[in-house]
Amino acid sequence: MKEFEPVPARPAPDKTVGPLAWMKENLFSSLLNSLVTLAVMALLVYYIPPVLDWAFFSANWQGTSEDACVREGACWVFVNAWSYQFFYGTYPVEEIWRINLMLVLLALVILASFTLPKHIRLKASVIAWLVLPLVGIALLDGRLLGLPVVSTDLWGGFTLNVFMAAASIIVAFPFSFLWALGRRSNMPFIRSVSVIFIEFFRGVPVLSLFFMGSVMLPLFFAEGTNVDKLIRVWIVLIFFMSGYMAEVFRGGFAAVPSGQYEAADSIGLSYWQKIMLIILPQVIKVSLPNILATFVMLFKNTTFLLIIGIPEVVQTLQTALSNSYWLGGHALEGYLFVFLVFWSSCFSMSLLARRIERQMNTDKRD
Amino acid sequence: MSAAKPTADAEDVIVIENLNKWYGNFHVLRDINLRVKKGERIVICGPSGSGKSTTIRCINRLEEFQEGSLVVDGVEMIDDVKNIETIRKDVGMVFQHFNLFPHLTILENLTLGPIWVQKKPKAEAEATAMKYLERVKIPDQADKYPGQLSGGQQQRVAIARSLCMNPNIMLFDEPTSALDPEMIKEVLDVMVELAEEGMTMLCVTHEMGFAKKVADRVIFMDAGQIVEENEPNEFFNNPQNERTKLFLSQILNH
Ligand SMILES: Nc1ncnc2c1ncn2[C@@H]1O[C@H](COP(=O)(O)OP(=O)(O)OP(=O)(O)O)[C@@H](O)[C@H]1O
Ligand SMILES: [Mg+2]
Repeated sequence: MKEFEPVPARPAPDKTVGPLAWMKENLFSSLLNSLVTLAVMALLVYYIPPVLDWAFFSANWQGTSEDACVREGACWVFVNAWSYQFFYGTYPVEEIWRINLMLVLLALVILASFTLPKHIRLKASVIAWLVLPLVGIALLDGRLLGLPVVSTDLWGGFTLNVFMAAASIIVAFPFSFLWALGRRSNMPFIRSVSVIFIEFFRGVPVLSLFFMGSVMLPLFFAEGTNVDKLIRVWIVLIFFMSGYMAEVFRGGFAAVPSGQYEAADSIGLSYWQKIMLIILPQVIKVSLPNILATFVMLFKNTTFLLIIGIPEVVQTLQTALSNSYWLGGHALEGYLFVFLVFWSSCFSMSLLARRIERQMNTDKRD
Repeated sequence: MSAAKPTADAEDVIVIENLNKWYGNFHVLRDINLRVKKGERIVICGPSGSGKSTTIRCINRLEEFQEGSLVVDGVEMIDDVKNIETIRKDVGMVFQHFNLFPHLTILENLTLGPIWVQKKPKAEAEATAMKYLERVKIPDQADKYPGQLSGGQQQRVAIARSLCMNPNIMLFDEPTSALDPEMIKEVLDVMVELAEEGMTMLCVTHEMGFAKKVADRVIFMDAGQIVEENEPNEFFNNPQNERTKLFLSQILNH
């Protein structure tokens, strides 16, 4: 009888692997490709050194005031001197630990939602996420915890952007799930209300919503009550977000096969048991990358809050730029700094989303 | 719903009378009449699209029907939520594509129903679950996730999941047709065992060996109707209807 003998694996031919092969294939594969490569290189050589020189070699790093910026490069002294306000607004210095603690809690909850053991992850992180905004308000405001009260006029800076975005998406989460569920409902009334809601908040610019929020929302509150500006903005952001996230969830619902509903029905689960125990966890799982993407969008949109005079980071920057001690024209440095802060946070979130997606693809079988 | 209640025969656990169902204008089930006694094993076969799945899915109300009556274990299937729940607790179902819950471990798949529907304490539910996992011969997989199991193992878990609810009737919709040949046997073995223990079973399948071995009756459906029903020997060796003959010649001689 013949025996099967596998041919041993051989390494790929040299010409197809390694950096030289890569360059040949990707940069110089044709005449046109080579010309483009050379042109791009020339541009880089021409422009990069002056930019580097401005940003680093001739930049001003040391000092505390305008006068320190004597060299012709960037005046990072400006950013440095205002960094506190950029991050914390006018929150009192001696209470700053409350904001830092809140940031740590936020980071911990994010970490927990991805690293806790699988069997308790969903339950624990859902609870943590729902409790987080309450803790945040109690901590930052201070009243409920017997700490000195910090009025919301003093909240500001980049941390305000972070907290507004996070607090909105968390509250929007359950609402948007309900809207998405309503959109799939068999009952025409519920379905049309959901569709109208979702499409309204997706189809209207967020800026106009902010203005409407300042004008219209007070009409819904009892006369004489003066609802905090931040709360009004928060409500607007929640509505805005739940419209978008409802669509994200709709995609998630479509990814759950009908057999899951049937299996849940056939073991006798009630409608809400089926939704909460079987469907929701699967919808969240497949929607996570898109939820993060939506969050990034919301996060960037919080800079629009400057239009209605909320001292988020860009508004703070503009205040700094018009400060009479800093009239040297540091807009470029200031905006670059804001870009960098936003870009690095958003980019790390995209990386996280990509990681989750990859992980999801590899453990499809689990 | 038809007014005349089927005459109560204590033995009949399923009584279907003049059942008609439409999908829009498409008349998918036509005048289905079927009585199933306690402990009876019934195999349903027929060409694709003949309404086999639809029929058994009506029995636990995964599908609604427009005319006729259906009584399961003395409970009439009407639009009342309570009745539907009662019947679903009484009827287990196994699907072609297993439909295990992918985000739960095998053990959690099995205990979900007992804990949330039957309100059993967790420990008791887990003990029952382990008992059934042993019966389907995969107790060592309890802590894995469905995606980590082979198709045959998943289908056995699905059977165990239904059994954990302690049903009186089991419905199977082509339980082996998504499986590789090596795995079909391990699932059929479990089903044969179940049949030998006296479970009332309705099984849509084209595994004719299984039908010959365990069925009390074989039902042949075509175009939304029951064309022929008989005990297996007669059914296979002496089919009465031309349509049945044609179908049998096609599936037995390929
Ligand atoms: N949701 C639906 N809407 C419209 N038509 C449907 C629907 N579900 C099934 N049908 C049709 O009803 C008929 C019966 O379907 P059913 O699934 O009961 O067939 P089956 O006998 O189980 O076939 P198979 O062997 O392919 O599973 C088919 O013609 C099918 O196309
Ligand atoms: Mg079918």
